[in-house]
Amino acid sequence: MKGPKHLLIAPPLLFFFTISLVPLVFTIVLSLSGYSIGGAFSWVGVDNYVRLASDPMFTRSYANTLLYVFVGVFVQYWLALGLALLVNQVARGSQPLRLLFLLPFVMPPLIVGFVWQTMFDSRYGPLSALLGALGIGPVLWLNEARLAFTSILIVDTWQWTPFMFLILYAGLRTLPREPFEAARVDGASDWRIFWDHTFPMLLPASIAAILLRAIEAFKLFDVVFYVTGGGPGGATSTVTLQGYFTALRSGNLGYGAAMSIVLLVTVMVLAVVALLTLKRLSSRRARRVERKLQAFAVEFRQRAAP
Amino acid sequence: MTQDTRARGAAPRAARWALLSAWSLFAGFPVYWMVVTAFKQPRDIYQGPFFLPFVDFTPTLRAWEHIAGPARDTVLHGLANSLLFAAGSAFIAVVLGAFAAYGLARYPYKYGPYRNDDLSLLIVSQRIMPPIVAVIALFAMFRAAQLLDTRVGMLIAYTWFNLPLTVFLLTDFMRRIPVELEHAAALDGYGKLAQIRHVVLPLAMPGLAAAYLLSFFFSWNDFILALMLTFRDAVTLPIVITNLSAQMEPRWWLISAIGILAMLPPIVAVFLLDRFIERRVLHAPRGEDS
Repeated sequence: MKGPKHLLIAPPLLFFFTISLVPLVFTIVLSLSGYSIGGAFSWVGVDNYVRLASDPMFTRSYANTLLYVFVGVFVQYWLALGLALLVNQVARGSQPLRLLFLLPFVMPPLIVGFVWQTMFDSRYGPLSALLGALGIGPVLWLNEARLAFTSILIVDTWQWTPFMFLILYAGLRTLPREPFEAARVDGASDWRIFWDHTFPMLLPASIAAILLRAIEAFKLFDVVFYVTGGGPGGATSTVTLQGYFTALRSGNLGYGAAMSIVLLVTVMVLAVVALLTLKRLSSRRARRVERKLQAFAVEFRQRAAP
Repeated sequence: MTQDTRARGAAPRAARWALLSAWSLFAGFPVYWMVVTAFKQPRDIYQGPFFLPFVDFTPTLRAWEHIAGPARDTVLHGLANSLLFAAGSAFIAVVLGAFAAYGLARYPYKYGPYRNDDLSLLIVSQRIMPPIVAVIALFAMFRAAQLLDTRVGMLIAYTWFNLPLTVFLLTDFMRRIPVELEHAAALDGYGKLAQIRHVVLPLAMPGLAAAYLLSFFFSWNDFILALMLTFRDAVTLPIVITNLSAQMEPRWWLISAIGILAMLPPIVAVFLLDRFIERRVLHAPRGEDS
């Protein structure tokens, strides 16, 4: 079984080397050059990176990306958890509700962008009609920096909360019933039951949902591309969008490559930090469980031996 | 249940339904808006907003007639490409992913310092990499290899896109299939290939289906790869829609109608996925060793 064993795993590794590692190295090399489409290749060292630090469009896109990730994932996690808990309490007829909740996630991101562009339109959009009926004047959602940013967050939340809901709901369904019934018999409040039992037991599902969602959030591109195009004045731009415009629209491949490398390094650093934190947390938790078990064993022995 | 607890449950129940209804409205309304927009005249869009068909506007099939008429070839071209790439790349990714997953689950590997877990991590880590990092270089590489805007090129790109996911999902799945079953089959005189065909494959079917549908879903929804790597011959449905919108006033009725078409395959995929996940739960092999 020597040869076949290596053959089995060869294709993914081949893909890894040719379409991930080679392009990565290529992009790093590109980021150290002043290469542009139709131009000559020239080494510029770290000039591109130095330039990035003082490029207001890039720093804004970078800050936006981080904000989208942290604010978006935070809001979507708690919303999704709340919805999962609510749906979990629905005894009958929860399936149509679940399917309705999943609809936004099923919509191709580009269609999401278009639909929300019409939703936000200040002349013929339903949102402005609704607000108008409430006596709130025409809101130019996409023309003012902070409002436009909030609009993208709303769309992102609309689109991705279902994904987190799906994972958390599946997690909730697999929890054992006994601890909850025991706690209820003991007269614990819903609030206490949530923090003492539901939340800790749901932690693996929560971590999976947050990590997967955060990884996707760093790639945010299509919705912004359609709803605002990054505007007004870069207020909603992301690193991917900025990299796309710089590298492929303006043809500055070297400079655009440097942007994408900064994004990659950020994601990698945060991923490593997240994994290390999780490791420490889980080992601390394991120790706590162990201590509890020991205390229980001691108590048990004392009771058993009068 | 006593009278007291029942009274206590009424208010939370009302609050629960209020919250769930609010979210349903938020989640469902944009989808509803897209569907009604696909049946509107341009003036019903631009002078709007109009909400209810037959009440404040008269629905029309104008967009659909355009899709069935002048725009037919363009839309069909995009639809065919999208289907081919999503279905084809998902199939390749699942087959290659299943072999790799089987290997990772059954045999110890050691390439220099890299063992099984490191190899898995290496493969999965590609999924963490933002596509923009690879896609700039991919553009240059595809141009050099003359794969730009070709169907083969896009199938390769989407297989790359999905393979980490299928390897990741299936490795876990293969580990849950008890190796003893294969040993038993071996004792009965089955060769390795026959063992895989008659023992592993049937047991792995739900997992393979789930991985296939997820891959299909992700390729179908992709925009950035198609945007950067296709122009004319290999354009997908999202790119067709993008071209329709590249005008002063986008033709919303048309975009919405194609949007409905574009939503159908992933909806079917999610329905099927749901059923297969249910089946996986019901038929999970007993006596897991992991």
